[in-house]
Amino acid sequence: MMPGYTRAELTAELKVLPSREGGKAPREQIEAARQAASESGLAHEAGPDATVLAGDRGEVLGAMMKVIEASLDAGAHAVEVKVEAEADAPRFGRG
Amino acid sequence: MTRAETIPTTPTRERPETPVSTPGRVGESTTRADGVPKVTGEFEYSSDLWMDGMLYGATLRSPHPHANIWSVDTSEAEAVPGIFAVLTHEDVPGRKVCGMEVPDQPVLAWERVRYQGEPIALVAADHPETARRALEKISVEYEVLDPITDAEEAMREDTPKLHLSGNLLRHIHVVHGDVDTAEADVVVEGEYEVGMQDQAFLGPESGLAVPDGRGGVDLYISTQWLHIDRDQVAESLGLEPDQVRLHLSGVGGAFGGREDLSMQIHSCLLALHTGRPVKMMYNREESFYGHVHRHPARMRYEHGATRDGKLVYIKARLVFDGGAYASSSNAVCLNAGTFACGPYDVPNALVDSYMLYTNNPPCGAMRGFGAVQVCFAHEAQMDKLAKALGMDPVELRIKNAIKPGDRFPFGQEVPPPAPVAELLERLKAMPMPEEEDITGRDLRRLPGGVSNVTHGEGVRRGVGYAVGYKNVGFSAGFDDYSTAKVTLSVEGGEPLVRVHTAAAEVGQGIVTLEAQIARTELGVNKIAVLPADTSIDSAGSTSASRQSYVTGAAVKAACEAVREKVFARVREEFGEDPDGLSIEDGNVVAEGHGIVVPLAELLDGEEIGELVKYRHKPTYPLDENGQGDAHVQFAFAAQRAIVEVDEELGLVRVVEVATTQDVGKAMNPQALEGQIEGGIAQGLGLALLEEIQVKEGRIQNASFTDYLLPTILDMPPVKMEILELADPDAPYGLKGVGEPPTIASTPAIVAALRDATGRELNRVPVKPEHIVGISGPTGQPPQPGSRGPAAERA
Repeated sequence: MMPGYTRAELTAELKVLPSREGGKAPREQIEAARQAASESGLAHEAGPDATVLAGDRGEVLGAMMKVIEASLDAGAHAVEVKVEAEADAPRFGRG
Repeated sequence: MTRAETIPTTPTRERPETPVSTPGRVGESTTRADGVPKVTGEFEYSSDLWMDGMLYGATLRSPHPHANIWSVDTSEAEAVPGIFAVLTHEDVPGRKVCGMEVPDQPVLAWERVRYQGEPIALVAADHPETARRALEKISVEYEVLDPITDAEEAMREDTPKLHLSGNLLRHIHVVHGDVDTAEADVVVEGEYEVGMQDQAFLGPESGLAVPDGRGGVDLYISTQWLHIDRDQVAESLGLEPDQVRLHLSGVGGAFGGREDLSMQIHSCLLALHTGRPVKMMYNREESFYGHVHRHPARMRYEHGATRDGKLVYIKARLVFDGGAYASSSNAVCLNAGTFACGPYDVPNALVDSYMLYTNNPPCGAMRGFGAVQVCFAHEAQMDKLAKALGMDPVELRIKNAIKPGDRFPFGQEVPPPAPVAELLERLKAMPMPEEEDITGRDLRRLPGGVSNVTHGEGVRRGVGYAVGYKNVGFSAGFDDYSTAKVTLSVEGGEPLVRVHTAAAEVGQGIVTLEAQIARTELGVNKIAVLPADTSIDSAGSTSASRQSYVTGAAVKAACEAVREKVFARVREEFGEDPDGLSIEDGNVVAEGHGIVVPLAELLDGEEIGELVKYRHKPTYPLDENGQGDAHVQFAFAAQRAIVEVDEELGLVRVVEVATTQDVGKAMNPQALEGQIEGGIAQGLGLALLEEIQVKEGRIQNASFTDYLLPTILDMPPVKMEILELADPDAPYGLKGVGEPPTIASTPAIVAALRDATGRELNRVPVKPEHIVGISGPTGQPPQPGSRGPAAERA
């Protein structure tokens, strides 16, 4: 988009849908996902319960699995995932 | 949280009529079509936007630079009579974050605020005062956290992370040659600091969002890049891009501060929630919180040279405070890393450029970004080195000046033209102004001016030089392009050319230039430049000194395509060889035969239109050692500043700035002079006056009473010599011209101050207390009377 910006090959948005039954408290389920995302070094917050991972295909897919696993381990029953490859992703500044 | 009152008909907004002008041709000074309306007060700036039935939007902002948000209660605000909407992050239907490089900034904060002034909630009301009162009724429960306000602190491992990805936003590592084995006879070291400058555009952020009644929205806005705004707005509204239409409104200055979003998404959210047009306009104080600023920087340098003055190596460690969110910090970090060594041929270099997140105000684009900061430092180093070597500082620069065929420390071959030595030689040869006697001088020509605090006692004169450079256009692999549609028709019996692009006119004169190009290429006297909007493809940003190059090339190419069609028709109908044809004053003319046919007759009521997309040659990202053909064009400027300083009172008068600049082609000489003088004024501001004072993450001077700007009384006469050395890859050979004057003027003025006072002055802006030595620039002890011996280490 701008000079110096290397557009990510793959972007994955993960939204944790916390479970109220069993496991950790809903907030902690989201925090567990964030923590796993943070450790990847690829993450940005995308909303109160959503995280975006952006980077090379392999590292994003790898990090995505860890985030999902951390969410499930913390008691979440569902994680919504949207993955966009660079070629298909909408790009800013283009008509 | 909305009390929507949908009005039955889709509102529309009449736009001012497109002016038809007869501009000069390329290379001629020509009066700009918006010039007279601007000076007579008739020009419609975005703050003048108005529609019957419109509401007023306002923003609740965090008073804290760092806090958790535990709750937001809007119920009392919603009950205020005259309030039509109160919105929080829950009302953002699409992507809840935005950002032009990294989407890391909440449209409206949800659980944490990371800078003072971060938007949390929005209201729409029937009157601005009602909106303000409703904001006061919104209750936010905060848990105030310690702010991280120092970039070095943010870099430490044990510092809490402000973002999931950590506090280090970007690191550029440039390795050129081998600094470890390089042997120098003389070494100078220095630490430099640049404060946070504001773009200080005079027209604060403003816009008007108008719902179209079909779920989409039109936004009239002052911005630098319509399409990047459009796409971010659409994504956060959950709409398709074509449901969001942006129209450029009158822009009261930009300088990078409008490249990122302010209220674009907010106003559209409110408009779609209420079904009414919504106007938002920041006041001056809010404007300081509503846009990004120039990055403060701390820079440590080490230069090594031979005894005869050839650079052997440069080491630089650059630390930039990006503030709370990314904005265009990635690009700033890249520019600083690539330009850190200045326009010099240095065989060995090691540069580390770091960009950090903190809880300070977000920083981003501002005229000359990245290059401004490092130029202040590398030019101070060159002066220090010259002193250590006993050399003339200009001679030292000339001896090391980079030239075509050399390689920059980031590996790219220097393309022609790169007349660094010639610029310096010509600058040095420019006559010095006559020194005026202090006694009896008009007070306006003394340091301190009409405040009448000095009568010339202790006034000393100093002279300083600097040379700066920067890329033109977008870099490092970015797909940089512009789009132009040119249509030739006949109206009222006369040929008319319509030019349409999405290039944002922010005061720099692109609209005039587009008209000049059309007149030059098509030989038609009447030109209409249509308003910029998103109904045509992107023109890219009005930044990086790029519009004359990229949009200028697109307009030129579209004109050429139209001309080709005209000539093809002439060949078909009259059998004339297109090679000998031209268009003059609306007539197709054959060489040696005179007029073949008037365009009005040839077109016979038809139009000829061509749409062209222009791309400059590709650039490439840097590799892990900071090597790559990252930039497309380089623009250079050298400057000499002469100052008078009252050493006892710390007062400064800049007597004159002389400059030499290579512009490739002076497309509109009068506009060029304006760019150079304006750029110098902004560099003078950074040298002497302009700084956003931030303490513990809080802005202390969010007003033009306390944030000091240079006025006409502070501006010296500017003497300039323009070189027109054509860039073979650029349209008409032109180079971008907006940024180099700002880059070189700050270090030149501070060099002159050092020459006058003998002090090191390693921080800008230089304040009176630094000149008189009451306090050191960065908490260092004062150095009374010191002429700043260079840190020589033979």
